[in-house]
Amino acid sequence: MKSSKKPKKLIRLLKLAGIFFYIGLFTLGGGYAMVPLMKQEIVEKRKLLDADTFYEIFAISQVTPGPIAVNMATFIGYKESGILGSVFTTTGVVLPSLIIIILISLYFTDAVKNIFVHRFFMGVLTGVVAEIAYLTLDVWKRSNVDTFYVIVFVLSLIEIFVIKLNPIYVILIGGALGVIFKTKEYMNERTH
Amino acid sequence: MKELIKIYFEFFKIGAVTFGGGQAMLPIIQRELVTNLHWITIKNFLYFVSIAQVTPGPIAVNMATFIGYNMKGFWGAIIATFGVASPSFAIIVLIASVMHNLSKTAVYKAFISGVKPVIIALLISAIYLIVRGSFHSAVPFILAAIAFVVFVKFKINAFLLLIGMGVIGIFLIK
Repeated sequence: MKSSKKPKKLIRLLKLAGIFFYIGLFTLGGGYAMVPLMKQEIVEKRKLLDADTFYEIFAISQVTPGPIAVNMATFIGYKESGILGSVFTTTGVVLPSLIIIILISLYFTDAVKNIFVHRFFMGVLTGVVAEIAYLTLDVWKRSNVDTFYVIVFVLSLIEIFVIKLNPIYVILIGGALGVIFKTKEYMNERTH
Repeated sequence: MKELIKIYFEFFKIGAVTFGGGQAMLPIIQRELVTNLHWITIKNFLYFVSIAQVTPGPIAVNMATFIGYNMKGFWGAIIATFGVASPSFAIIVLIASVMHNLSKTAVYKAFISGVKPVIIALLISAIYLIVRGSFHSAVPFILAAIAFVVFVKFKINAFLLLIGMGVIGIFLIK
């Protein structure tokens, strides 16, 4: 019995690593650009998580240090299969970059400076902007938008664009305001 | 061996103090590895940045791999990547392990409800940074608008959309 359980677990872990390898390989344009593809794979296609949990992990991944994509991979891996799961997902998401960068260092160092590569990448960025815009609307639609929400949103925009505060402080201020003004509401919710 | 350990801890440190993803890591890498430690030249640094942005994967991971490889070959690349990812790994595993109990508390729910609107603002700022840095004519704006409609209406694969826009970019963006 025990011996038949082990390969099953390994297959599950390798599958998880495979999903994140795919996500790592097919993300151009940095960490944020990885989130729409990750949502398609994890939430819509494989239904490992529901959208709300996914966005919650997205939120936590910005409060913690490190690349957002790596944080999300670690988190989802842990949720799926514990610490081994997070080892496999994190390795999976990092491996493509590792292989590609080593290959570039070895061989085609100057190919990436080509004018067509530059234009190609500028085109990719228009797609990245479109996908982040979609993500923004999707998070907004799934939120319970009340006065508090709008005030924190506007305040955050001012902190980012006018005061030019480091994003981590903007997040912590938002979280602190949440704790100050919303804790009571959630406590009442539980007693009902 | 000693040098590999040094590489590990330097990237561990960089990974631990960087909030907000890869872009935020670049100035820290520049200060630590270019200005303070002289591990790489500024010329190489800028070259790495230009490549790390156009290759797949998180920019921070790409940069770590690049610099590690530059310093100590294959193992340097592995160790640097491992180093930059380990602080987040440890912290996330810690949070995820208490999450089950934590997520039921009112304080946690209140905290997250305050973070959510900030995320919207940060996403808008991410869009703004790309637009300011790379959209130099009306063409990319139009392409982005078309890509948005296609992505929302037809729900096509996120990667295929990026590749498609890249190919269109070769012909239309100067």
